Amino acid sequence: MGLETENKDIETNLREIARGLLKDKKVDVIIGYMEGTLPMLSQPIIIDSEEDVEKLIWNNLCYVNLAKYLVPRVPKFVDSEKGNLTVGVVSKGCVGRALIHLASENKIKLDEIKIIGIPCNGVVNRQRIEMEIGEKEILEVSVSGNNVIVKGKDFEKEFPFDEYMNDLCKTCKIRKPPLVSKAPDLCVGECEEYSNIVDDFSDIAEFEALTPEEKWNQITEELSVCTRCYACREACPMCYCNLCFVDQNKPVWFGKTTDLPDVFVYHLIRAMHMAGRCVACGACSLVCPVGIDLNKINRKLEKIVKERFNFTSGLDPDVLPPMVDFKMEDAQEFMLEED
Amino acid sequence: MPNPYIPMLTRVKSIISENEVRDIKTLELEFQKKEEYKAFDYIPGQFAEISIIGKGECPIGIASSPTEEGTIKFTIKKMGTVTSSFHNSDIGDTIGVRGPLGNGWPMEELKGQNIVVIGGGFAFSTLRSLVLYILDDKHRKDYGDITVIYGNRDSGEVLYRDVLEEWEKRDDINVVLTIDREEESWTRKVGFVAAVVKEVAPSPDNAVAIICGPPIMIRTAVDELVKIGWKDEKILNSLEMRMKCGIGKCGRCNIGEKFVCIDGPVFSLAELKKMPNEY
Amino acid sequence: MAEKLLKKDDIGKFYSELEKEYKFYAPTKVKGNIAFKKISNAEEIELDYLNSKVPPKDVLFPQKETIFEYRYEGKEVIIEERKDLEDKLIIFGVRPCDAYSFKLLEDFFASGDFQDDIFLKKRENATIIGIGCNSPRQSCFCTSVGGHPFQKESTDVFLSDLGDTYLVEAISEKGENLLKKLSWLADAKKADVEKSKELAKLAEESFTTKFDFDLVTKVLDENFEHPVWQEISESCIGCSSCTFLCPTCTCFDVIDENDEYNNRGRRIRIWDTCQSCLYTLETSGHNPRPAKIQRCRNRIMHKFSYYPSNYDCLGCVGCGRCITACPVNNELRLIIDKILEIQEKSGEKVSA
Repeated sequence: MGLETENKDIETNLREIARGLLKDKKVDVIIGYMEGTLPMLSQPIIIDSEEDVEKLIWNNLCYVNLAKYLVPRVPKFVDSEKGNLTVGVVSKGCVGRALIHLASENKIKLDEIKIIGIPCNGVVNRQRIEMEIGEKEILEVSVSGNNVIVKGKDFEKEFPFDEYMNDLCKTCKIRKPPLVSKAPDLCVGECEEYSNIVDDFSDIAEFEALTPEEKWNQITEELSVCTRCYACREACPMCYCNLCFVDQNKPVWFGKTTDLPDVFVYHLIRAMHMAGRCVACGACSLVCPVGIDLNKINRKLEKIVKERFNFTSGLDPDVLPPMVDFKMEDAQEFMLEED
Repeated sequence: MPNPYIPMLTRVKSIISENEVRDIKTLELEFQKKEEYKAFDYIPGQFAEISIIGKGECPIGIASSPTEEGTIKFTIKKMGTVTSSFHNSDIGDTIGVRGPLGNGWPMEELKGQNIVVIGGGFAFSTLRSLVLYILDDKHRKDYGDITVIYGNRDSGEVLYRDVLEEWEKRDDINVVLTIDREEESWTRKVGFVAAVVKEVAPSPDNAVAIICGPPIMIRTAVDELVKIGWKDEKILNSLEMRMKCGIGKCGRCNIGEKFVCIDGPVFSLAELKKMPNEY
Repeated sequence: MAEKLLKKDDIGKFYSELEKEYKFYAPTKVKGNIAFKKISNAEEIELDYLNSKVPPKDVLFPQKETIFEYRYEGKEVIIEERKDLEDKLIIFGVRPCDAYSFKLLEDFFASGDFQDDIFLKKRENATIIGIGCNSPRQSCFCTSVGGHPFQKESTDVFLSDLGDTYLVEAISEKGENLLKKLSWLADAKKADVEKSKELAKLAEESFTTKFDFDLVTKVLDENFEHPVWQEISESCIGCSSCTFLCPTCTCFDVIDENDEYNNRGRRIRIWDTCQSCLYTLETSGHNPRPAKIQRCRNRIMHKFSYYPSNYDCLGCVGCGRCITACPVNNELRLIIDKILEIQEKSGEKVSA
């Protein structure tokens, strides 16, 4: 079955479920995606009535990590009398993981949201397609079979979806929404219980195999165009600090310029702060106005956390992330000699 | 025209601690180049961007009056990293000064009118400049009666004791000092500034009120003035905003279409009411 | 001066002659995207492009710029001002919207009692060679802000892409003097000039995005507190991509960088954005614009209300970068539609 039909089915089910939730007043509002005004984009939409349910869409252009709108809650999710409204969140795997992880960090109360789990087969790698099309305007994007068809004024090109989806989506292990028994949720289609995610991290094998010098060259080349706009930080649902380390001035940890030492330190420290917290949603690389993608580093950190602490973020709201917790069994071979 | 981003260099001549808790100091600066001092033509109410070069820069109101020849003074409260480094400076240290900036008190328009100066706490610095300017022999006859109402949390917080005592001795200025709560050695008034304003009830006829202080003091004092007939156009305020360039280029001090560093920091209440409430 | 022709094959010659005297900046591919960089050979030039991600303003107003350098000798401070502001440069292949942005930037930095010496000196020494847009994008709307895909006024030399040649027109005195150095350029024929005019007309007619900005300014001036701003700022995540890619945004931060061990340092300025919640935060903790809705509103008001009040023109060149950059598709056209709806709704009430 082609992507188009799959997505259409999911979309119909989603609207049905959304209608039901609003009708039965199980939720006050629902946040999901709607048609964008540009060919390769979608918009987030907040609906509170059954009539608007038809605006909800589901396709391979649903990029934004909707968990961002819950920490902090946008004004439409808070009522002056009732307080926090119950929000239904259309959650593909990474959005669901983000919500659950934020619940483990006490930024979300799971009983104030409803995770509407939705199966996701990945999002289109917009930046890669735009780069391959080059300097020609893309006017229409559609999906047919398993191909993404991109049309312009005088061109039409087909891209096999399997290859032209986001790199993170290629190795995603939670394409079916997570069914977390402690979290009140619903499913559009099949859900799966993930007590553990089996991930061989084969996507970063090539990166890992590079020599330190090659890694340095690759990373610094990627970062050479950074403008220090901090869009990556603003888009990440896990970046919710009131005062980011970048902006502190007692002391000033490092500079704010686009010189390589400053850029390098910013991105790597932010990656460190994501260790054990990143849910691999790709929002950071999507948002970047100049197309920086450092997700290989985030994936590597995810692998190390898995190996050392047997932890994957966003699966259990009651388990603290390893960087804010300790267990007596934690390996300490870098500090103490074995007896 | 000189590059407005390059600071003029001055030296610290003296540092005086102004209050009991020692978190407010007045720095007296003398210019390293005489011609730069001569060109530093300022009026009361203006500010300058002063910096310890290497530590940072911040906008501080000029506390000295142009009638005090030879040096310029800034009163700085220790709040963050830059102000702390001012407090830690020594006599002879180099301080960068960019200015004078801002519109200042409208000294020309104030001529021939009675002036009511209402200050609260640390915000008195540019008011010191204003009053000294008016009291100077060259200018005194240009202005009418002067009333100064200056309130503080406690007697330890009163700034510029030396000049205040001088003013109290004069008969061409009415000085009313007040503190919030009674203290043993305090013989003057006790009460919030707004209450004192009510008591003094300065007449709005041919008069301008100049108010500087914490927002709540300004609000309550203005309420009292309005009750006795003061109009918004005759009440002046000096705003504080985060500033970086001080010359209207970096964009951050805007309130609506106005920039506090070039269209202000002095605004009348009437002007403020027309601006968005983002200050 | 009569129009000239520059064959596309001769771009190399054009470059190698001019680069002896000027620092040559042109659109070139950097990591898959077009950016304006100082090029070292003519092959790097890409003139057949839609538009650069980061606008060419960053040639004259870079993300990081040194204001001055200093060193300490005991208590004495010696300040060293910039010495490279007199370098001559060419910014080649600039779209008319970006060329117009240079004019807006120049007027802004020169306005008032204080002039921004650093930018203005560089602008004086820069020659802008513009190029017309044969195929404006759906997201372009320069014609709505008083611009045009073949607008020549803000350039020194203007190129029109006629296929395998460029029509070359000197627009300003600076441009004329430049072209005089290239005496080998062939004269254009009348047909070439006609073709350029035809391309301009076709480009103008192709615009799909059009706004009445006079009306927008009027509505904005009267509706600062309107609840529509709640709707407009709802999906914004404060990523500030719109301001970082905007050709007319000029806000900056000033930072002193100190090398304590060597008693020297520099004062620099870096791009800043009103979309950041720390932008207006004061040391006391008070923040004039603590809420996202206020920051979202400030950007729109600044471009379309405060700018007209202060400088008598819009603060927008219609390049459409903010439209394509917004990751949540909270784009300008939707925002303008919502703002204009206020007028329509109030209009309905009046007529009823």
